[in-house]
Amino acid sequence: MKMLVIFEKSERLRHIGHLDLMRAMQRALRRSGLPIAFSQGFNPHVLLNFAAPLSVGMPGKREIMEVPLSKGVCEGDFKKMLSAALPKDLPCIAVRSVDDRHPAPMASLTAATYSVQFESLPENFSETLHRFMAQTEIPAIRKTKTGMKPCDIRPMIHETLLEGNTLYMTLSLCEKATCKPDLFLQSLFEFAGQERPAALITRLQLLGGEAPGFMPLEML
Amino acid sequence: MNFCKGVNRLNKQELMQLEKLLEQVQKPARYIGGEMNAVEKDWDKAEATFAFCFPDTYDIAMSHLGMKILYHLINEREDALCERICMPAADMADLMREKNVPLFSLESRHALNHFDIVGFTLQYEMSFTNILEMLDLGRIPVYAKDRQDIFPIIVAGGPCAFNPEPLAPFIDAFMIGDGEEVMHELIDVIRDGKKQGLSKMDILRTLAKVEGVYVPVLYDAAYNEDGTLSSFTPNDTAAPAVVKKRVVKDLSAASYPTSIPVPYTEIVHDRMVLEIMRGCTRGCRFCQAGMLYRPVRERSMDRLLELADALQKSTGYEEMSLSSLSSGDFTCLPQLISELMNRYKEKRVSVSLPSMRIDNIVKQSLEETQKVKKSGLTLAPEAGTQRLRDVINKGVTEEDLIRAVTDAFESGWSSVKLYFMMGLPTETDEDLQGIGDLARKVVRAYYAMPKEKWAKGVMVTCSASVFVPKPFTPFQWAAQDTIETVHEKQAALRQYLKQKCVNFKWHESHLSMLEACIARGDRRIGDVIYTAWKLGCRLDGWNEHFKYEKWLEAFEKCHLDPAFYAYRERPYEELLPWQFIDAGVSQEYLKKENEKAKAAAITPDCRHGCNGCGLQKWHVCDFVENPPLKGKPHRAEVFD
Repeated sequence: MKMLVIFEKSERLRHIGHLDLMRAMQRALRRSGLPIAFSQGFNPHVLLNFAAPLSVGMPGKREIMEVPLSKGVCEGDFKKMLSAALPKDLPCIAVRSVDDRHPAPMASLTAATYSVQFESLPENFSETLHRFMAQTEIPAIRKTKTGMKPCDIRPMIHETLLEGNTLYMTLSLCEKATCKPDLFLQSLFEFAGQERPAALITRLQLLGGEAPGFMPLEML
Repeated sequence: MNFCKGVNRLNKQELMQLEKLLEQVQKPARYIGGEMNAVEKDWDKAEATFAFCFPDTYDIAMSHLGMKILYHLINEREDALCERICMPAADMADLMREKNVPLFSLESRHALNHFDIVGFTLQYEMSFTNILEMLDLGRIPVYAKDRQDIFPIIVAGGPCAFNPEPLAPFIDAFMIGDGEEVMHELIDVIRDGKKQGLSKMDILRTLAKVEGVYVPVLYDAAYNEDGTLSSFTPNDTAAPAVVKKRVVKDLSAASYPTSIPVPYTEIVHDRMVLEIMRGCTRGCRFCQAGMLYRPVRERSMDRLLELADALQKSTGYEEMSLSSLSSGDFTCLPQLISELMNRYKEKRVSVSLPSMRIDNIVKQSLEETQKVKKSGLTLAPEAGTQRLRDVINKGVTEEDLIRAVTDAFESGWSSVKLYFMMGLPTETDEDLQGIGDLARKVVRAYYAMPKEKWAKGVMVTCSASVFVPKPFTPFQWAAQDTIETVHEKQAALRQYLKQKCVNFKWHESHLSMLEACIARGDRRIGDVIYTAWKLGCRLDGWNEHFKYEKWLEAFEKCHLDPAFYAYRERPYEELLPWQFIDAGVSQEYLKKENEKAKAAAITPDCRHGCNGCGLQKWHVCDFVENPPLKGKPHRAEVFD
């Protein structure tokens, strides 16, 4: 049996790296007294899988990890016990138990929604964004495992919405096609010919399924 | 007295600046706090607020047990709160100064100068410039004389407080000895003084009456023409002529943390620590801790198991380290280890044992502790020949070492670290050659095993630090080797250790020389520290930041000679700057031990009978009443 855990990495902890976050979660699970599973070998560690690592500097509102269990636990008990063991800046929002054959969250992940809170925005930014999104092709250089590769990021940008100084967007996030928010913003402000203002980027939600029918990943 | 009231955390602008700084610096996770078990208390309800300052970076600070003990102890009080403040790394310190962000606490981000009490722990002489840097970043004037009636009261404690004089110009009050009890009394006095609106001087005068507290402004030092101390006397009736160190009598009853902050980012020692014992009876003559932390006090098994359970539950750590100066001397060590291993096998918690002496590494302990996880093995013969080991009263033999490494190799270890010191009193080239010989014999011990037990091959790392004479040791009068001599010896040692499977690491001799100057320094050294800091010295313990030339310049500007402090053998008649402190161990005993060292005569472990070190006068030592085991020489126990 496995438990899907939806948790928040709060703003205070945004500078924590992925490995540090993983260690923090492993220790929380050890504190919780839950029937967790360990890896084999000389340095056994708590088994868990994250849906997608968060970049250093980025908070996450609904992050997902999968925790294999050695014994069955009901969702209510699990949430209660884990919550008691988590620091306040890393709260557990919800849990869902799934059976062992349930695909790993990382395998079902296709996209994510982000918010970008700008300190300030240039005038007519809304119109710039509109023109940017009206393009049929957006050439960019994407960093991949095999090096820097030119590609078209337009198909990886699914939705944008501007509310005041905050930009919301849904971007592809899977092994084959990932458009990081940073790359999106870089292309956008290059297109606008403007300097990119300081901003806090937050990952709001991890998604599965296909556009336009994206679903929250934890519901798949 | 002008205590800041109702001041809140960093203001909005400072906080926004801080967020920006965190995006620019290396390892920003060192500055965020919010760890599991970090204590965030209500400032409005605290009658005394204490900033626990560690004068080094977060990753070192968070590895320190003393901070965890006192942090927990203060936060247990309903009327007080304690928050942590660490030395920022150089990049962060520079940016904070540039962008006007004051040094702040990890918990609530209050600026340093908002606290009632600022307490530094003094673990290492070469962190002293960091204290000035932290005060300055915290917007507090560094010299005590410039803080006549202003907030906070700056206090300090820890092993280096046993010679407080180099920091006397900056610190308002020192706590000498174990902190557990005196900390409460100090907080009470300051809390009450604050309530009653007393002047800072009145608070300090009250503090001076607390046993174990030294208030430097209440004492005057005078010097002879040759630079030595001529007199050191109180200038106020509140100040005692002799400051007695504090001793916690019953360690089992003493406060100990049941939960400790668990850092997010990796630190030097990222594990829970169980202090099983305080003090050491071995009497190694170079070892300051061995003299300062006397008498030996063990925590009871019941208390240790209770603490271990609580710590394991509250931290989720995967490693537990048993801490003391000489863990093998703990009476119930085998029972404790097997009980801990039993309890935590299921939970995959490993138990590690640093500070084991070569002569009591029990094979069983080695095997037990590596059932879950294999950790590195470090042994400290300290010197290369039996003669020199007798001089320093190390009390281990070559046979001990070879037996210990053979046991370790047979249990599956294939790399060992050997710690040595160079520049010990009476050292000759023969002693350095002895280090080379020992390394060779250790390698040979590995290949003496049957072939099928050889793993990838053996690696012996020999590390040689430069001996620094310390106060309250029998070598407190000794001269340190000059830098030139050290360099010659290092070159020789490099030759002797040019061997297969042997690796040699040596220490920065310039740093050790300055460490010696400060360790046995007087009040005037304070100005050198200040001048060095003004010249840009900070984080001196970090190779990349250490600026030797600037330190020499500072000495010159203050018209002081490092050789006077480091290279001079002091006569017994000389008044030592730390002599007004009663550390329990008497000066007579130290003299006697120094004379025995010159004759390479050993002094047995006082568990087998009191050697009369001086502690007996306080009736705090369990071993005094024990009948001495007559006719049992020190080394014999090793062969038992």
